Amino acid sequence: MTRKDERGHRWTDVGVQRAVIRIVRRLSPGFGRRVITLKTRLHTDLGWDDWYPLRVVKPIRRTLHESLEDRVVLALKTVGDLVSYVWNRMEDA
Amino acid sequence: MRAPRPAPAAVCALAAFALAAAAFAARAAAQTPADTSRPAAAPPAAAAPAPDTAARAQAAAGTTGLAPAWQLLVGHSYSSARALTQPATFTVEQERGQPLYTVLDAAAMLRGALADRAWLEMGLRARGGSARPPGERAYGAMVRAFGELDPVLVAAGYEYLADGHFVVQQPAATFEVTALGGAPGLGTWVSPALHVRWRPWLGVSWGKGVRPYLRADGEWTGGRFEAGVETTGWLVDGTAVGFVQGDLSVRLVGGLFATASGEAGRAPPTFEPEGRFGVGLGFRLGPT
Repeated sequence: MTRKDERGHRWTDVGVQRAVIRIVRRLSPGFGRRVITLKTRLHTDLGWDDWYPLRVVKPIRRTLHESLEDRVVLALKTVGDLVSYVWNRMEDA
Repeated sequence: MRAPRPAPAAVCALAAFALAAAAFAARAAAQTPADTSRPAAAPPAAAAPAPDTAARAQAAAGTTGLAPAWQLLVGHSYSSARALTQPATFTVEQERGQPLYTVLDAAAMLRGALADRAWLEMGLRARGGSARPPGERAYGAMVRAFGELDPVLVAAGYEYLADGHFVVQQPAATFEVTALGGAPGLGTWVSPALHVRWRPWLGVSWGKGVRPYLRADGEWTGGRFEAGVETTGWLVDGTAVGFVQGDLSVRLVGGLFATASGEAGRAPPTFEPEGRFGVGLGFRLGPT
């Protein structure tokens, strides 16, 4: 299954998932590779405070070419939520 | 002894906030709730296609089931994320031959979106109770707009503060900035084993004079236990003054805590020296 980002690049669901997890991992340098999964909770497991989730907006715009809304990002609870949000913003290929 | 009498400005500010909160609450209730039927952590393959860009953006937000138009938060104070995380506390103290004393530290805040990259907060807070002399009590109302400009977050707001007599009143415009991250523990836990995080804010308050300030909050979490400290330093008429408050809490059930909290220093609006320590029940709604 593929979708297109805002620049028309094609992404598979697995590709989006990997890219998002890579971004989250880069923003949580104290956490190992295996710790971060779709079920990882941003606030409870990674300890992100109220504002830290906003750090995903810029790298997702650069890497996955999708513009996210801050209010939605602030309400996300898990890595899986973030993956679903990015995927649902993409267009059907 | 003169009875405390709210000043017209205070009444107007509080009434305006109450009206605004009611209006936004009504608007939030009227909006279609997000789709909560879908699992929050649904894999991308399970996501439904959306017909056009606008609908797709709406569906994308709804897919999370976690993007309410307005969110109500209750905590110790709205002065920072840490202060909101610190439970609101209510303490009742009884000494032999003395009247029953109460101590209340609480804030409520409403948060909602302004635009894709900006949002609004409105709040009320109170540091009161009969155990505090009226001069040490403080009541406040504020409205604050945030803008995300990664790598920083900026906030511009307006806050009204008054002492218990509503004699000392301090309306002021504020501007604050914080780095979203970039240092160990800034905004996120240091490591899976060390649940410690902190956040600094640099700000300036413009009311009866210009007052720059620096605020930092730090917190630790371990199972049911939480501890936190928030400290603020102001430059008032060329003199540095500071205020620090901290807490140690144990989660009892849900948002209910047993909390030991203390504070010391000089806090606005009076900047008179004060300090207290107490143990009481805490309540928190919203932040994790």
